[in-house]
Amino acid sequence: AYGINSILYQRGIYPPETFTRIQKYGLTLLVTTDCELKNYLNNVVEQMKEWLYKCIVQRLVVVISSIENNEVLERWQFDIECDKTINDQSAPREKSQKVIQEEIRSVIRQITATVTFLPLLETPCAFDLLIYTDKDLAVPEKWEESGPQFIANSEEVRLRSFTTTIHKVNSMVAYKRDSVP
Amino acid sequence: MEDLEENTTVFSTLRSLNNFISQRMEGMSGLATPGSTQSGLQSQYQQRMQLEEQAGQIHSKSQLLQVEREKMQMELSHKRARIELEKAANTNARNYEREADRNQELLTRIKQYQERETEAENKLKEQMEMNKSYKKSMETMSKKLQEKESKLAEANETITVLKGKISELQWNIMNQEMQMTSQDSQKKELMEQLDVQQKKWQEASQQIQTLQASQSLLAEYEQKIKDLEQKFSQQEHDALIVKNMKAELARFPKMERELRQVKEENAYFREMKENNGLLKEEVEGLQRKLERYEKVQAQLVTVELENEKLLGKLKNWEKLEQSTGLNIRTPDDLSRQIVALQQRELVLKEQNSTITNSARILEKARQQLQEEILRIQSQLLDEKKKREQHEALVRRLQKRVLLLTKERDGMRAILESYDSELTPSEHSPQLNRRMREAEDMVQKLHAHNTELEAQLSQVLEEVGNHKQRAEMLEVEMKVLKSQECTAEPSTIITKEEVATLRMKIEELEAERSKLEEENRSLEMKLEKLTLQGDYDPSRTKVLHFSMNPASLAKQQRKEEQQQLQEECERLRELVRVLEGGGSVPANLEGVGSFQSPQEIA
Repeated sequence: AYGINSILYQRGIYPPETFTRIQKYGLTLLVTTDCELKNYLNNVVEQMKEWLYKCIVQRLVVVISSIENNEVLERWQFDIECDKTINDQSAPREKSQKVIQEEIRSVIRQITATVTFLPLLETPCAFDLLIYTDKDLAVPEKWEESGPQFIANSEEVRLRSFTTTIHKVNSMVAYKRDSVP
Repeated sequence: MEDLEENTTVFSTLRSLNNFISQRMEGMSGLATPGSTQSGLQSQYQQRMQLEEQAGQIHSKSQLLQVEREKMQMELSHKRARIELEKAANTNARNYEREADRNQELLTRIKQYQERETEAENKLKEQMEMNKSYKKSMETMSKKLQEKESKLAEANETITVLKGKISELQWNIMNQEMQMTSQDSQKKELMEQLDVQQKKWQEASQQIQTLQASQSLLAEYEQKIKDLEQKFSQQEHDALIVKNMKAELARFPKMERELRQVKEENAYFREMKENNGLLKEEVEGLQRKLERYEKVQAQLVTVELENEKLLGKLKNWEKLEQSTGLNIRTPDDLSRQIVALQQRELVLKEQNSTITNSARILEKARQQLQEEILRIQSQLLDEKKKREQHEALVRRLQKRVLLLTKERDGMRAILESYDSELTPSEHSPQLNRRMREAEDMVQKLHAHNTELEAQLSQVLEEVGNHKQRAEMLEVEMKVLKSQECTAEPSTIITKEEVATLRMKIEELEAERSKLEEENRSLEMKLEKLTLQGDYDPSRTKVLHFSMNPASLAKQQRKEEQQQLQEECERLRELVRVLEGGGSVPANLEGVGSFQSPQEIA
């Protein structure tokens, strides 16, 4: 959720005055104060936690599209590789909290740094969160199936990955290539 | 004055002295010349002495005078002081007398006043008594007065209360009268306003009627105006058309003339064009010929150069023929020789490669054999050690056997001796037991002996086996060493197989590389597609929250668009109505309300 908040702040999807600062992972991060948005993010994150525990989630995508023409301008994709051999009985794997936080911190710093080369978002935009799950999963209430929302003419950049010994997260960003080179 | 007078006397005496001295000096100067200087000097000295004495006298006199003056002054001052004192004393005495008189007068007055005081006191007492009596009467009177005053106060209160009531009533009456009057005035005003408003209403209705009539007239006029405008525009349009037609008509003969001229020019230009084309073709043909000639010249030059080169080569070939000493007359022979050489080279290379391969194989075999040799040598050493151990065991066992046989012989000798000794005596069963025990011992020893002999034989057999194996391995080593020397002829036999195998290997390697490249390209595509967000629909599906911000934003946008469109339509209707001066009641009220404040103002 902190990564998503960072993306929303950095890309200017919501006005900067609706964000407040908190300390997490040893960094000063910005999270939104808008109630509706917080509600939505909490709902999604709760569902994600459940699915992550069951190792059903394959990918989380933040899609940024223009409100006027519904064109997808940016796609932030987080691939999740889950170690399915783990279950409740197996011993907890040793990886220090500090190392995991260091890796998350580097990913969030990289998200902030990628803003420098991403094209400006001129038109008002909205975002959507897509979750790629196993095919045989029961669709819960309030969720629905949707398309993958590809970008037609895209440039892709791979970012750092981090692992908690059970899950490995690979991050990348795809953006629409500017028509003027 | 006396001092001044005294001073003047002194100054006068001094002047007289000076005059006398000057006279004497003149006299002396007149008398000095007849030569009696000494007497003159003495006389002068005496004169001087006299003068000095006189001066001293005068000085003392002046001092005396001064002292006397001072004394006089002192006496005068003394007198004055005395006089003043006497005056002061007199005045003091007079003052004293006056004060004494005054004191007496004051004393008399005091006495009078004291008498008066006593009289006043007496009167006071009498008056005090009178006052007390009067006070008593006053008290009684005051009590009566208070009673009367209280009664008066009550009466006054009642009066005030009644007065208050009266005033209130009067005030009420006044208020009511005022209200009546105000209401009457209001009524009058309202009636007046009513009349005014009725009049206004009548006027407004009249105006509205007039306005409606005027509006209808306006509408009619506007329609007429529009019709007239339309007609006017049509007429203008027709006029324009007529003008254009006239202009065109006027232009027509000119156009015909121009046409003729243009046709003539056209024909002329066509002829010219054809001529130009023909000329261009001729020019192109000539240019091509030129180019061909130039090419031919260049070719000639190159051909001559080639000719010279070929001649040179020929000479070289001829020289070669002389230099190489082979049967070369033509380049064909050279080429054949070269081909033959190349073939030989290829063959040699193949042989070389086969030989290298075989050498590698042989080296590998040699290394393997060396390793085996090492192993076998180690085994040999082990077996030798085992054999030595076994031989040592054998020796020990043989020694034991010897010892045991010796013991047995000894025991047998003992037994025989015992037998020889015992057979006559027929000794006790103990000796029999000992005999049996000795026999058992002997049997055990026999069994042990046989076991040891069996072990020995086994060991000997193993040793023999090991020896055989060692001999076999040595033989194999020799055979392999011999095989190394005889490897060459065998490779030639398998050369063809090796070549085929190699070809197969090369083909397989080519296929493998192609497959690897295809694999890489496919992986790249997969990577790119996964980066773009592709997924396998048979295994994954994409979910999102129904109430997500993008859809909410879209809904909001649609609602805004709809609202904007509705506002647009409303505004367009208003504009149309305003332009047309329509009959919608809302607009009329708006118009009426706009006009009435203007009238009131």
